[in-house]
Amino acid sequence: MLELLWLIPALPFAGFLILALFGSRLSRQSAAVIGVGSVGLSAILTLGIAIRFISSPPADHAFSQMLWQWISVDAFQPAITLYLDALSLVFIFVITFVGFFIHLYSSLFMYEEEGYSRFFAYMNLFVGSMLTLVLGNNLLLLYLGWEGVGLCSYLLIGFWYKDSENGYAARKAFVVTRVGDTAMAIGLFLLFTSFGTLDIQKLLQQAPQEWTINSTQAVLAAALLLGGAVGKSAQLPLQTWLPDAMAGPTPVSALIHAATMVTAGVYLIARTHVLFTLAPAVQTAVAVVGALTLLMAGFTALTQRDIKRVLAYSTISQIGYMFLGLGVGAWSAAVFHFMTHAFFKALLFLGAGVIIFVLHHEHDMFKMGGLRKKLPVTFWTFLIGSASLAALPLITAGFYSKDMILWYTFAGEQGNDWLWAAGLAGAFITSIYTFRMVFVTFYGEAQAEITHKPGMQLKVPLIVLAVFSLIAGFIELPHTLGHLTLFSHFMHSALPPTEVLHESVSLELLLQVIAAIAVLLGIYIAYHIFIRNRSIANNLTASGPGALLHRFWYSGWGFDKVYDTLFVNPLVWFAKINRNDFIDLIYTGIAGTSREFHRQLTRTQTGRLRWYATGIVIGAIITITVVVYL
Amino acid sequence: MSNEIQLWPFAVYTLSVFLIVAIMVILSHFLGQRHKEKETGEAYESGIMTTGTARLRISPQFYVIAMFFLIFDLEAVFIITWAIAFKEVGWVGYLGILVFIGILLVVLLYEWRIGALDYAVSGKKIVKKFKQLNKEVI
Amino acid sequence: MTATDFFSLMPLIIIATAAVIVMILIAVKRNHSVVAGVSLAAFALAFLSLFRITAVTPHTLPPLLIIDNYALFYMGLIFAASFAVTLLSYNYLKSYNFNLEEYYILLLLAALGASTLAISQHFVSIFLGLEILSVSLYALIAYVRTWERNLEAGLKYLILAAQSSAFLLFGMALVYASLGSMNINDMAQLLSGANLGPLALIGFALMIVGIGFKLAVVPFHLWTPDVYHGAPAPVTAFIATVSKGGVFALLLRFFVAIDIYNYESLVIAFSVIAIASMIFGNVLALLQNNVKRILAYSSIAHLGYLLVAFLSGNNLSVDAATLYLTAYAITIMGAFSIVSLLSGKEQESDKLEDYRGLFWRRPVLSAVFTAMMFSLAGIPLTAGFIGKYFILSAGVHSAKWLLVIVLVLTSVIGLFYYLRIVVAMYSAPTDDMPSQPGISRSVSFSGVLVLAGLTILLVWFGVFPQGFISLIQNMVSSLQDVYLSMIV
Repeated sequence: MLELLWLIPALPFAGFLILALFGSRLSRQSAAVIGVGSVGLSAILTLGIAIRFISSPPADHAFSQMLWQWISVDAFQPAITLYLDALSLVFIFVITFVGFFIHLYSSLFMYEEEGYSRFFAYMNLFVGSMLTLVLGNNLLLLYLGWEGVGLCSYLLIGFWYKDSENGYAARKAFVVTRVGDTAMAIGLFLLFTSFGTLDIQKLLQQAPQEWTINSTQAVLAAALLLGGAVGKSAQLPLQTWLPDAMAGPTPVSALIHAATMVTAGVYLIARTHVLFTLAPAVQTAVAVVGALTLLMAGFTALTQRDIKRVLAYSTISQIGYMFLGLGVGAWSAAVFHFMTHAFFKALLFLGAGVIIFVLHHEHDMFKMGGLRKKLPVTFWTFLIGSASLAALPLITAGFYSKDMILWYTFAGEQGNDWLWAAGLAGAFITSIYTFRMVFVTFYGEAQAEITHKPGMQLKVPLIVLAVFSLIAGFIELPHTLGHLTLFSHFMHSALPPTEVLHESVSLELLLQVIAAIAVLLGIYIAYHIFIRNRSIANNLTASGPGALLHRFWYSGWGFDKVYDTLFVNPLVWFAKINRNDFIDLIYTGIAGTSREFHRQLTRTQTGRLRWYATGIVIGAIITITVVVYL
Repeated sequence: MSNEIQLWPFAVYTLSVFLIVAIMVILSHFLGQRHKEKETGEAYESGIMTTGTARLRISPQFYVIAMFFLIFDLEAVFIITWAIAFKEVGWVGYLGILVFIGILLVVLLYEWRIGALDYAVSGKKIVKKFKQLNKEVI
Repeated sequence: MTATDFFSLMPLIIIATAAVIVMILIAVKRNHSVVAGVSLAAFALAFLSLFRITAVTPHTLPPLLIIDNYALFYMGLIFAASFAVTLLSYNYLKSYNFNLEEYYILLLLAALGASTLAISQHFVSIFLGLEILSVSLYALIAYVRTWERNLEAGLKYLILAAQSSAFLLFGMALVYASLGSMNINDMAQLLSGANLGPLALIGFALMIVGIGFKLAVVPFHLWTPDVYHGAPAPVTAFIATVSKGGVFALLLRFFVAIDIYNYESLVIAFSVIAIASMIFGNVLALLQNNVKRILAYSSIAHLGYLLVAFLSGNNLSVDAATLYLTAYAITIMGAFSIVSLLSGKEQESDKLEDYRGLFWRRPVLSAVFTAMMFSLAGIPLTAGFIGKYFILSAGVHSAKWLLVIVLVLTSVIGLFYYLRIVVAMYSAPTDDMPSQPGISRSVSFSGVLVLAGLTILLVWFGVFPQGFISLIQNMVSSLQDVYLSMIV
């Protein structure tokens, strides 16, 4: 069964190839069958492999499959090898399953759109690249997947390319993540020059032997990788691209910009965790970045009007939690949160997509309202998703994963009270903005008429994801509640367990109660403001400092403006004065010389036979001269 | 190069060749007499006047036959060579020449069939082509 | 002559017999399809017979011929390429109504000449093979004689090839005069690192002229564009693959045997030729507007690259050269197949203008052509890349830095004109495009067969090269060792 591993990424790539080559000739039905089917088959295969992997784990709890040795010349032996362990298994599971349901959803959601097969081609390419990213056994393959998903993200954000706004958003996403990618590429070069290999497992074995803790190289390598992770996962200070990326179709936001691609940074850090352990300063930086990001994004989400932007900021914020977890060494907890987050955030995006779909591309929450009765399935599933996002205690998956991160942040060896406080504050804010969204969208007066009913392809993914959003948490229960460690136990074959300083059930219970209260309080505040008395919100934003703060938060803490003045404008200015590009002169010079040389040489091709014969004679004379006199 | 050859005699020789030619041309230019008569430009100044053009049309078939003769004539050389060494080359030689003559026969057959040996186009063919053309017109 | 002798000469006998059979067939009744079928069968049979012969290699037929694995590989290349050319020609000639059948006799004989080159170890057989090849080519190039440019190309090739043969023959005579042998083995033993007298040096230089002409390297390249352009596209493909392949096989065998690397001056002469070929070939192709001429100029450059592999003179060089030649043969055959398949009667689609917007009308053909261009440019995952990679590693191993640097730089220039063709194909079609009748012609089954085969080979070679590499290493690596051991 495990030998079929290669099929998992191969199937979506095959789907992409078929759709790309013959897409224009396929009917919508067959395009959908190919697009959805390829990912569906991958998902089934993943399930089989997961069962086999868990029931009878391979040696060392990891499985390598060398697919293809390209050529072999001396030491240069590039090979493509897939590597499956607990970490990559969780990722491929989420990618294929959530990916499949989102594809299914898209088959109806995008039905009316032009470029239907193009959409599925890009989506399949994305899934294939993402799988390559997490299954690659060396950093080069990982980087290939990394760039592949970046490309797909660019293509899909700009899917409706006829509107230039979308094109700009796509470009912004591409350029901003490129900053991180560059850092990461430099990091890879550094690792390669230090160890002479990019094989991740070899690297992780050699690094602790050759580098001491806190050595410059280790810090530098870890910091550069962090740069890449921050860019891809939209963390401070490179988070500005994600809200704009919402210009893409909603299934794209669900798949790429919530469930999978943006968590690639989390995967990268977890995969290379040894390097971060060698550089504690950088690891702390990871935690701090996570904490700051989750607070900043949470406050911003409070003020957004566009439902997708609320979700975008909440994604940034939740990935902040994962970074926080990684930063305090709670590797499994971060991956756990990644998994639950993928379920509930994809669910929320898809739910938002249904609303946007039935309201004819209406994004403003305040123009929705009162949808509870009209869209019962959407409402209930959206509510479940929101509860999970807000970490409603006991019944939601989000509670268990977030609680695990908070607990390790407080009690873990590398934990810190301040970080915990930030996480707690974040949880409080999360519950406010989440339920603000729910209440504004589904309760109150109906602001718009729905035009059509969502079909089965839209509902089924919602229901399935809602179920997952509820039950996925029960595979890992804290000490206070049943103490079940299926997930973390499973992960420990790939990631080291977290050291806990003060193991105390009563302390853990206390912290849980505090967190639960914070969440419930948040929900109550949201209820008070947005259902009972809307004027509170209006008063808050109308007052002087309130309005100022609102504007500040609404603009995402002014990052765009700062970057515009700091980087974009000077660059544009420089580009303007360097219109004739002095460096380019070198290249145009080479081209010009070649062209001139070409012109001179073509004069030798006269077409005259006597000259050709003379040419041979001249050649003979030259050859004899060279041979005899040299 | 280790076994150095003396190059200078060659150079002197080359130079003297050029020199002598130059002297001959220059001297005759200055010393020779010059005149321009009516017949000076003629090809054969002191011979018989040419009549007609040299570009006569001879049927290409003439050349073709001539070439075939030449080729087959030349092949005889090989057969004679074989005949001289008949005893020495034995059966292998016999086999070889058999194949050789066989190929020659095939070539002859081929030439005959494609009409390369016809000195003129046969009347039958002309009639046939004419009928065919007639049919096409109708 | 023993039974093994006959057995090991089987492929040549098959081809020669096929030529005679075709003559008889024509004498009985002219039929284009039957004749093409017989030729195809002959090439296929000859190719398959090679596998049986591996059992008896290396086998020497003193003093003229040697049949070793190296020769078998090159013969395989020649027969496979001839097979493809026959298929293409059948398709190409169908629309003409003059005598087509003799074309196949010539093709068979040319292939026979080229394979003779691959198995020769004596000046006599070398010259014989070269002349069989050349004489057949004169007629093949000018075969579509209703076509003015065609006759011109044939005539030019005839005169220049005769001239170069004269050089070659004179060179051989001088070498014979100074060494006293015309057998490569004997020569290798006689020389074994000893110094060459001026007579022998001039002899070798003149031989380089003759061989250089056939390979179309600078400064003997002037004929290439005119002949490539004027000849019918399948014949051009034949020149580019079979003719050059055979001559290159000879070049490698001859100069490796006499261990040219001991003779500084000969190496310098070849280096000058290689560098000039790489630069001139690529620069000349730069702004050409005719696809066949672009490919002609690019072939000059590619032969320059091949010489780099040959000049490296280490244990990689024969492998690298053979690998590159194989990759190049596959690619250039593919490129000319497309030119030939897109050509209408009396008018080939060879202008760059004909290819403008081709993608929008013939997407699959354009994709294949793009792959071929990428391979010529040496872009990874194509056969061309693997070949170029091996040449580079061979060059780097021997620290031939000048050659390597020129190779890399000129490859960059080369990229420009390959991409020009690709860009032309993918640019949006305009309404006022000149309508070229060949473009819209549907591709026949034989054409599809050739193209599909070549494309699969190209990609297979590029993606899973290890099999090819091992095969080539098994077949040709022995060449160097054999002759080196002979010297000791």
